Amino acid sequence: MGPTDVHGHHATALRTAATSPGATIDGRLRSAVLERAAGGSTPLPEPYDALARQIRDAAYRVTDGQVAAVREITGSDKGAFEVIMCACIGAGLARWDAAVRAIEEAGDAAP
Amino acid sequence: MRLPDVERGDSLRARTLIRLITAASGIRLPDAARVAFYHRRFVGPTFGTWTQAVMRGPSAWTVGERELMAAMVARWNSCDFCVGAHRAIAVRGVDPRVVAACLTDYRTAPVSERLRATLAFLETMTREPDALGAAHARAALDAGVSRAQLADAAAVAAVFNVITRYADALDFTVPGDAELDKAAGMMLKRGYG
Repeated sequence: MGPTDVHGHHATALRTAATSPGATIDGRLRSAVLERAAGGSTPLPEPYDALARQIRDAAYRVTDGQVAAVREITGSDKGAFEVIMCACIGAGLARWDAAVRAIEEAGDAAP
Repeated sequence: MRLPDVERGDSLRARTLIRLITAASGIRLPDAARVAFYHRRFVGPTFGTWTQAVMRGPSAWTVGERELMAAMVARWNSCDFCVGAHRAIAVRGVDPRVVAACLTDYRTAPVSERLRATLAFLETMTREPDALGAAHARAALDAGVSRAQLADAAAVAAVFNVITRYADALDFTVPGDAELDKAAGMMLKRGYG
């Protein structure tokens, strides 16, 4: 088992939990939000895209209006919560994936 | 924007826990805990399990060092709630002057070269993930950090790149110093699970 594998299964489980059926909003939308916040180039319909990009780039600048627009279109606090969490998880897992690549490549180059 | 459903709890269990813990601790239950109790059919249990493993599980890093890394990620992401919350926990295991120096500038702070090199890796990972590469990892390994240590630290940063974002998107209330200190004691006792 490699040094990143200890955490890798937790990262996989988190990605699965965020996008699996059974939540309030459609799993395909949750997957798309996660991928967009992870740096994906495919824009989402608004108002999802603005919130996903804001959370990816500078979450401390998220506005009440951005969250309220998603709250309105999803129709519930739970729907808005799911969009926010998927965007945050996308941004976090993109960083985890980058770290894993860097550590593995450095290890491969070691004498 | 704060979501009222998260604030008050979405189940009898959540509302009861919020009321009981508030009564027992004498402080307003921090928003981070309210999120952990919310919408339990979604990601909460899975994310809590990873966070607990990262922050309290086996690692060559001490709990205090991991909490300091969490506070640093919060600093880089401009998350006031997480800077306050995790600084308050870190100072229970790391000299408060060292924690303060790190939060000001880890490059000049009186920390080991291993920790300094690891923080440099975490800073690039947090601020410029697309630029992160083998050279950044190699710099940490050359400073004496093991691959397992670097992976453990990267996991801390990954988890807190999630937490800092929802803390800000959901407009978490930043408690005062006395409440942060009390909450820090609770977090050391109860963990993240």
